[in-house]
Amino acid sequence: MIKLTNISKSFGKHEVLHQINLTVEKGEVVVILGPSGSGKTTLLRCINYLEKPNEGQIEIGDFNLDYKQANKKDIHNLRQRSAMVFQHYNLFKHKTVLENVMEGLVVVQKFSTDEAKRKSIEMLEKVGLGTKLDAYPSQLSGGQQQRVGIARALALNPEVILFDEPTSALDPELVGEVLDVIRKIAKEGITMIVVTHEMGFARDVSNHVVFMDEGVIVEEGRPQDIFGAPKEERTKQFLKRITSEWAYSI
Amino acid sequence: MKIDPLFILTALLSLFKALPTTLIITVVSVSMGLIIGSAVALIRIYKVPVLHRIATAYVMFIRGTPMLMHLFLIYFGLPMLIDGISEAWGLPFQSNQIPLIGFVFISFSLTAGAYMSEVIRAGIIAVNRGQIEAAYSVGMTTAQALRRIVLPQALSVCLPNLSNSLIGMLHASTLAFAVSVVDINAQAQIVAANNWKFLESYIAAALLFWGMTVLIERATSRLEKRINNHNRGGVA
Repeated sequence: MIKLTNISKSFGKHEVLHQINLTVEKGEVVVILGPSGSGKTTLLRCINYLEKPNEGQIEIGDFNLDYKQANKKDIHNLRQRSAMVFQHYNLFKHKTVLENVMEGLVVVQKFSTDEAKRKSIEMLEKVGLGTKLDAYPSQLSGGQQQRVGIARALALNPEVILFDEPTSALDPELVGEVLDVIRKIAKEGITMIVVTHEMGFARDVSNHVVFMDEGVIVEEGRPQDIFGAPKEERTKQFLKRITSEWAYSI
Repeated sequence: MKIDPLFILTALLSLFKALPTTLIITVVSVSMGLIIGSAVALIRIYKVPVLHRIATAYVMFIRGTPMLMHLFLIYFGLPMLIDGISEAWGLPFQSNQIPLIGFVFISFSLTAGAYMSEVIRAGIIAVNRGQIEAAYSVGMTTAQALRRIVLPQALSVCLPNLSNSLIGMLHASTLAFAVSVVDINAQAQIVAANNWKFLESYIAAALLFWGMTVLIERATSRLEKRINNHNRGGVA
């Protein structure tokens, strides 16, 4: 279980997150929706301590941390409990596909090289890249790079995988292959928090939808409720605008 | 006066005597420069309290004054400092136990460190922020992320400039003669003065320096190809 309590974060005077509370059960797939600038990505990055909230607590599994008092060891500990899939993939450019996935296993989790290799190949086969082990990231398409990113996160066996707009930088044609992989691993019962603009995907895959705007959680609930019968006016507006893209008149 | 082409060859042969001196000055100053430079670059990037001000002042002073001046400051200043400390604490060590080339090593390392720190700093800054974030997200510490992810990529960015620094220090090692260390250039001067054939001797020295420079260029371009292997077929 992941529990965020009273997370607040400001960049200078601008408050990006205001007293966020969120609970994610084990095995749940949570989708965070919201307009740009609503703080969804920042919230996700706080879980991995890529941003430091001004205040708040986090609980992941049996680990607790108060952001205000976190020392280096706590931060290191927290980061090992989650893995991030980035919008721009952020694969290690100077390492091959296989090395990218092995890196965390060998360096952080102290697997032997053989064991790390075996596990990495297994993960890469799962995302459909078993034939690209020795390629460098620059030789892959965006969709393939993102699938390596997913394999890298998956191999670490974290408590939660965080997806930060995993398909936003992709060609429309390549979005499908990445979403298919995420769908597949969602079925395996891995806890995931996904920030995305893919509404269809959010609807199919998630157990829990969170709608954020201006740094607060406006509404959350089961996907059929949020998409079918949103209660808040702001949610209705957002969903209407984003799901009726075809309704432009020029 | 006519040029004596054969004497160029004679001079060249006698210049080889001084080749090890030139090489060792270059190798020591560049490798120490690499260590000092990396430390200074990291201190300045991470704004380590107090140290980063010292580092900035060091780079400013060294780049603001000529290399020959650093050599003289160390050559005349360091013995005073060492003897002063020895006397105050009653140590038996005397500055005249330091070989002349030791002053050259110290001063050239300081010079190289300041210039190379800027090259390395540029290289580190050029590595995308996403790379270190990805390293953090797989659970690495800052030290692991720097050593395994950031620095190797920074190296491939700064390699052309580092080879520039290496060539620069090779040529600048000729200044060592100012404190009576006999490098290739100094040896050329000695050969020239003994035989009254200045142009021939200096042509020989120039050829020797040029040859070494070509070797460095070859080696770095080969290294560059190997290090940049990951960019082949490169889009991203």
